[in-house]
Amino acid sequence: MSVNRNNETASAEAEAVSKSAKSRIQETFRDPFFWSKWLVVVAFLLIVLVFGLLSPEAFLTTYNLNNILVASAIPAIIVVGQTFTVATAGIDLSVSSIMTFGAVCFGLAFTNGWPLYQCIIFSTLAGFVCGIANGLIIAKREVNDFIVTLGMLSVAAGAALVLSDGKPRQIIDERLANVAINEFTHIPYLMFIAFAIVLVAHFVLFHTRFGTHLLAVGGDPDAARAMGISIVKIKVLVYAISGSLAGFAAVLTVSRIGAAEPAANTSILLNSVAAVVLGGVSLFGGRATIFGPFVATLLLQALSNGLTILGVASYYQYIAVGVVVIISASLVRTSNK
Amino acid sequence: MTSAVALVFAAATSSAVNAAPKKLKDIRIAAVVKGLDNPFFIGIKEGIEETALKYGIKANVQAAPGLNDDIGQANKLDSLAGQKYDCYIVIPISSNNLSQAVGKITKRGKTVINIDSPIDAASLKAAGGKVTSFAGTDNFAAGKAGGKDMIAKIGTGKTIGLIAGLAGNVTSNARIDGFKAGALEADPTVKFVGPENADWDTTKALEKANAMLLANSNIAAFFAANDQMAQGISKATGIGTKKIYGVDGIADALSLVKSGKVTATISQYPYVMGQMGVQACIIAAQGGKVPASTITPYYIIDSSNIDQALTNKSTRGYFPNQLPPGKYSNPYASKIKK
Repeated sequence: MSVNRNNETASAEAEAVSKSAKSRIQETFRDPFFWSKWLVVVAFLLIVLVFGLLSPEAFLTTYNLNNILVASAIPAIIVVGQTFTVATAGIDLSVSSIMTFGAVCFGLAFTNGWPLYQCIIFSTLAGFVCGIANGLIIAKREVNDFIVTLGMLSVAAGAALVLSDGKPRQIIDERLANVAINEFTHIPYLMFIAFAIVLVAHFVLFHTRFGTHLLAVGGDPDAARAMGISIVKIKVLVYAISGSLAGFAAVLTVSRIGAAEPAANTSILLNSVAAVVLGGVSLFGGRATIFGPFVATLLLQALSNGLTILGVASYYQYIAVGVVVIISASLVRTSNK
Repeated sequence: MTSAVALVFAAATSSAVNAAPKKLKDIRIAAVVKGLDNPFFIGIKEGIEETALKYGIKANVQAAPGLNDDIGQANKLDSLAGQKYDCYIVIPISSNNLSQAVGKITKRGKTVINIDSPIDAASLKAAGGKVTSFAGTDNFAAGKAGGKDMIAKIGTGKTIGLIAGLAGNVTSNARIDGFKAGALEADPTVKFVGPENADWDTTKALEKANAMLLANSNIAAFFAANDQMAQGISKATGIGTKKIYGVDGIADALSLVKSGKVTATISQYPYVMGQMGVQACIIAAQGGKVPASTITPYYIIDSSNIDQALTNKSTRGYFPNQLPPGKYSNPYASKIKK
């Protein structure tokens, strides 16, 4: 995780170079944004430590850590898309429904005998189309993103029910199932896929012109417009990315469940928003990291896994997860100021 | 971040598999049920917990984070699979979503008992999973018993109005089809109006019943695929003393049977499903032969046994009767070694 370069002006950078190493480290620790990024890592390690101490023989096993990684993979992909939309001061509430819609499209293609790769492309494209629609309405018509994606949540969920007639479609395919079951050096394939997407997203956000423009639009749209950045283009692309990732994540869902389910899974959406905030991404746009929300995803899954292992009753788990989210988010928030 | 993950993995250990027969007090059971926002699954949870307590064994009952959270439910089962439980009781949200998780448990040499909703056999086989025993309701049989019983009450050559749940719902279809089969068996001359879909809803059922009565004044009785809809029908104009049957055995339905507004409710016993799940687990852990499957009881509660059903009533509310008012077949209980 590199020190944030985007929010430092050129003069500040020049100043920093002239300072001694010691004072630079002090500077880093005093920089609130540094903490908003690293807090989630500290919290994650703390949670692993606590559960490791409370249930060493069950929590800290290769088998169980593998479970946490499997559970984190699909949310991690959704979270990448959500991070992009939040970085432009937007939000995508339709991710879970788009995922369901993508899964149903995958199911249709698969039962019609399409080759696997075409089914994967079809599902991703279905998500892409929903995302483009979100982006165009938000950017061109300047409608509030909250409302547009809330509408899309309903439209995509309904479309999934219509296309599937409300019935799950069983998809038994050895190649797909292997993706969900198999692992390499104790890391599940699913996590390799998710982490590859995280790496690409990090590169796009911090090492391409598109990424710089995206953060500029999120930070100060007027200034960005004055610089000649097309806000419409950025917004449309951001929602297209979020939609496509949801459509692609749908394939992995099908691989885990072995069926295309027609009912939307809203916990994916709530988790993605929580992870983005926990990861230190500013809801006001302009400030983002990819790795923060990724670690936050691991944190949320480790928390749910650990509580289940300890045998904490389901009712209390809701409270525990909520409390951790609120506490961490409020810590991130204060350090953001 | 990769370093953090690697660090965690460095601390990892492996856990052993234990398959030898166990003493009763050493048996540990884990269960993953559907979302607890549905009273039916609360009934099952109570059945598991109280039965485990009765035998003096430990049970950890977990629920899916939400009624539709299929992956979240699979994650929960995965979380429990790594621990030293002897047996896992599962109710899948969909017929496929737990197959891979069950496959993992089977590979670890542990027992899985499936209750309420069956896991699809093909998807289970593809995932290498094995279910040792299944205990669940036969909605078709419950409907069929209701059909026969109603003909006995109203006589032959009559017309019956049918009100179903959500269009395409498997449970609703099985109950309606079962009812028709039972009624036709008892009286081949019986006529049906509907089924009309009232989406499990009281008000919608009332509207449908009104419309059906207007169009067919000769309807002698109604069958609804659940109790809420039977309750709606009981408020229809011109319902008079026409017979009404519902399914489930919820608290409201029992009061309506008592007051005579609803004729009968074909009651189901989620508590018994939980109970049988625990008993099947114990047999397996003791190294006994577990019956492959069983149908959990349903009982027609009408004026003849309503008082007994109400005395049985637990204080918990929605599914008031934990156990049926009479005998029911339980192939598990006798096979447990004390």
